[in-house]
Amino acid sequence: MKWKKLGKLFNPSEYELFKEYIGYAQSPQVLVFDTFVRIYFSIRKQSENEKFVSYIKYIDVSKDFKEIINMSKHEVIKLGELGCFDEHGIFPINILRHNNKIYAYTSGWARRVSVSVETGIGLAISKDNGYTFQKEGNGPILTSSLNEPYLVVDGFVKVFNNIFHMWYIYGTDWKKTSKLEEPERTYKIGHAISEDGVDWKKDGKQIIQDKINLECQALPSVIKIDNRYHMFFAYRSTFGFRNNTENAYRIGYAYSDDLINWIRDDDNVGIDVSNEGWDAEMISYPHVFKCDENIYMLYNGNSFGKNGFGIAKLEKI
Amino acid sequence: MYKWKKLGKIFDPTLVNDREWLNEFAQAPSIIEFNKYIRVYFSCRPKPDHNGQYVSYSSYVDLDKNNFFNIVHIANKPILKLGELGTFDEFGTYPVSVIKDNDNYIVYYGGWTRCESVPFNVAIGRAVSKDSGKTFKKVGSGPILSYSKDEPFILSGPKIRKFNGVYYLFYIAGRQWLLANGKPEPVYKIRVATSNDGLNWNKHNKDLIEDILGDNEAQASPDVIFSNGKYHMFFCYRQATDFRENKNRSYRIGYAYSKDLLNWTRDDKKVGIDVSENGWDSEMLAYPHLFKINKKIYMFYLGNQVGKYGFGVAELDGELK
Repeated sequence: MKWKKLGKLFNPSEYELFKEYIGYAQSPQVLVFDTFVRIYFSIRKQSENEKFVSYIKYIDVSKDFKEIINMSKHEVIKLGELGCFDEHGIFPINILRHNNKIYAYTSGWARRVSVSVETGIGLAISKDNGYTFQKEGNGPILTSSLNEPYLVVDGFVKVFNNIFHMWYIYGTDWKKTSKLEEPERTYKIGHAISEDGVDWKKDGKQIIQDKINLECQALPSVIKIDNRYHMFFAYRSTFGFRNNTENAYRIGYAYSDDLINWIRDDDNVGIDVSNEGWDAEMISYPHVFKCDENIYMLYNGNSFGKNGFGIAKLEKI
Repeated sequence: MYKWKKLGKIFDPTLVNDREWLNEFAQAPSIIEFNKYIRVYFSCRPKPDHNGQYVSYSSYVDLDKNNFFNIVHIANKPILKLGELGTFDEFGTYPVSVIKDNDNYIVYYGGWTRCESVPFNVAIGRAVSKDSGKTFKKVGSGPILSYSKDEPFILSGPKIRKFNGVYYLFYIAGRQWLLANGKPEPVYKIRVATSNDGLNWNKHNKDLIEDILGDNEAQASPDVIFSNGKYHMFFCYRQATDFRENKNRSYRIGYAYSKDLLNWTRDDKKVGIDVSENGWDSEMLAYPHLFKINKKIYMFYLGNQVGKYGFGVAELDGELK
């Protein structure tokens, strides 16, 4: 693979409209229209005790990705009610257009006491072309289970051969390096299938082999090109990933011909951190999509997308 | 109306002095029958921590089958360990329901975690015993029944049964957290899931028991027993708020019956048991568990302060029909 970086596309801090937020435009994901592309992302507000809440916003951009033609001023989707899985934020949101319906698979965050957070994946439907989404129930459609005890999140859904496929991540460990440290989490990529996009059956196993020690794998994004399925995802070390660029997020790659067996092939990912600039320390949260006849990747750079997201174009498979 | 004869309080955990984890509470009693005794599982708590917060354990006491007031043995330790960091049952295993299935003893239990905006959340776990129900080992570190689209939080109060080769898990599911003077209080309703293997469950996604106190009725402990061609459910219910100090809003025992385990008719007029004028069960009655021993039907239940000082027993005069 060879990706050509087209540069940073959007930084919310540059806009008066987003001044009540503290930045971040994380995990950009698209809904493609005939004449423009709507890019959803998660933006943060600071709440009490220096904690964060993530909200969903979008921008509409021209199909050459050179012009922002609209930005959402309204509430795209409500956060959860008291005690619900998505009470303290939605991050990320994955949009699926299928049979004239627009689905959103939301990653909900709710704060815990002994560890920082628990998550789950919810479903919402849009009846106004993605302007707003209404939740299907107050609870998640995918959550913890016997061997995936916590942190089910980052759902990405595609329909292939009339089956809904979801790639997502699940927690395998909360670890502390010392008594004083906050616990850090480890998570892996899993897969589930569904006939209706609502009721899911998990494979119940890690589908992408680890490359580094104590590897966290996040945000799988899958695209079919010709007869092969390609997955891009983010990975990092469980510890020291915030301040040490060596341990920070990079983009990984795997491919499959049957949607069951995946071969990890990071040598072929074709994108890495830049030598300098907004994506020099980390690259993360890849979202791969087709627009007209081209394939693009949206992604975040340094500081987990605090200063926005950029885009790259696939030049060679 | 059924006629219950209250026989009195059986077990008071505050009288047990040599088990740190069994300081107070003996909640949600349920039994397994052995040859000479019945094993009564219950949930208990050590002293609260410096923030006044409790963890809960589950354990058991063996009672003479012919005289429940004769305590044969008190367990030396909890039947289940608390969960690891970040798991659903890190802060409590309460309540429990044990089934003897062929030669296996299997427990379903509510696992408690602590949350920031609300005090807790609960999901249902499963563990298996290889020592006749003395200790249980979890089959995984996650829950076997957890939150879903229409059951967003608090899956608790499991009662496991097997009828006609099918497993039934009666449980409660949270509907809403209400704020009462700034304090979150949950509303939950009785639900059912079915399974062929006890591991993979099919939720039926409907409330089984009609409210009589309105939308804010909290329902708990759906205990089901088969008798005379019908399924009988005894459960407890209360107002979701102001139930701790106000005895009129606190737990009472309700009753429903069913032919098919899925469709239930509530008929509290028949329940035949209520709070006493005074004494240990004068403010509330909660967490009923029914069983048949020596051809008689008994109910274990909790009294005031939801079992802080233990559980008692009532004997049915006649039959359930």
